[in-house]
Amino acid sequence: MSEFRTLPAPGTAPGGPAGGAAEAACAVAAIVDGVFAELHRVRDAVTAVLGPAPVSGDLAALRPLLLPRLGGLVSGIGFIAAPGLLSDAPWYLEWWQESSSGDPVRLVRDMDPASSAFYDYSHWDWFSGPRSGEDRTLAGPYVDFLCTDEYSLTLSVPVLRGGGRGERGEFAGVAAADVFVRRFEVAVLPVLRGVPGPAFLVNRQGRVVASTTARHLAGSVFRGAPGMAAHPCRDLPLALVAAQLPHVP
Amino acid sequence: MRCSRVGEPTTRWRSRLAAFAPVDSTARVDAVVRRLTDAIALGLLADGEQLPSEAELAAQLGVSTVTLREALMALRQQGMVETRRGRGGGSFVRVPEHAPSLTDRLRGLTAEELRDLGDHYAAIAGAAARLAAQRALPEDLAPLRRTLEEMAATGDEAHLRRLHGRFHIEVAAVSQSARLTQEEIRLQADIGPLLWLAHTGEHGPSAQHRAIAEAVHRGDGDRARDLAERHVLEAVEHLIELRLREP
Repeated sequence: MSEFRTLPAPGTAPGGPAGGAAEAACAVAAIVDGVFAELHRVRDAVTAVLGPAPVSGDLAALRPLLLPRLGGLVSGIGFIAAPGLLSDAPWYLEWWQESSSGDPVRLVRDMDPASSAFYDYSHWDWFSGPRSGEDRTLAGPYVDFLCTDEYSLTLSVPVLRGGGRGERGEFAGVAAADVFVRRFEVAVLPVLRGVPGPAFLVNRQGRVVASTTARHLAGSVFRGAPGMAAHPCRDLPLALVAAQLPHVP
Repeated sequence: MRCSRVGEPTTRWRSRLAAFAPVDSTARVDAVVRRLTDAIALGLLADGEQLPSEAELAAQLGVSTVTLREALMALRQQGMVETRRGRGGGSFVRVPEHAPSLTDRLRGLTAEELRDLGDHYAAIAGAAARLAAQRALPEDLAPLRRTLEEMAATGDEAHLRRLHGRFHIEVAAVSQSARLTQEEIRLQADIGPLLWLAHTGEHGPSAQHRAIAEAVHRGDGDRARDLAERHVLEAVEHLIELRLREP
């Protein structure tokens, strides 16, 4: 995972451990890892479903696995095929999301870039990250005008075919889940509130995701500030920024 | 000034009664027809594309299947949807050779209504562009640049029109505001196809598009807002002139 580019070097405050900030960062990582664990199940199921010449209908077998995973943090979940993977649909997603009534509904969109200006998904971070070899991608926060029109995070992992014996398989698409920023805030705020002083989470680019201070709200860019230190949330592209504790002799 | 007779609700009260009235099924049918017609006009639904099953589409639009069937029937009558029975059957999008013309739609609006639509759209586009400039990270510019390149490369007018829409939605999304982005999408459905009348004969991205992207890139919120407002208002002014030439 590359360095946080806009932030001061992570670490502990001079003079001692940074209060509960490092522990809080781990607690946030555990929440996010819970969603990645779901995605690993989806990934394994997709690998099991894909035969030598897969077609879009094969993916319907994923539904019993996908539907019960909606709710809680996850508002949308599914598999997005690499262009050309399926012989009957060059662009395809088996994607389920909660409707306004809470019932699962399948997203049906024209994904063919030849006829639609909008739905070429290959450029979006949640797709290009796993395709370029990232094991776990956390895209956003961003306004998702492709699927939900909501301010969202998208977590994704690559789905590979073949491989084995130390060889990386062929990229077949991504297993992904949407988490609305407002739901993420509800989940992580109790953890952030446990940190003394203002605390907020930033993504790898320095964009604020959730915060206990109105000075750094979700969507704004944090470019570093004196007296603030960043604590990585384990190996995720996410860091918790909190005030450095004063030196206690 | 005419006074209301005793017992006749005042206009204000009448409008409130209307606001509280249940959304009747006719309004829902119209809303669905409008949504699908706009999606076809904007090129979001392409000629020959198969629509999802009735149950699936009704669920997505949040209406009953009865409402959806009525809407599909209306669209069939307008020649915008074709339904085939049997194997491989279903409902398919048909883009008519002469879709209800935009000038017809323009005639249905007064100059005052157009001005007001323009004011609303300029406010949204301006606010979104200003926030986009304030909140943009370098990688947020990539989609805008890609769209500008595609605009420069395409020779197809329908494609160019779709890219115009995409550019403005992408700017709005950089603002990090879901509401402003949703409003931009909604206003584009309302006035986007009409505004295109004001751009007829254009090729590629305009200098205005490039300037907006540049202001967002430099983080110059005031300039981004000015440019985005002017982009809308100049087009609307042109549109109003076209309208006033009509009988």
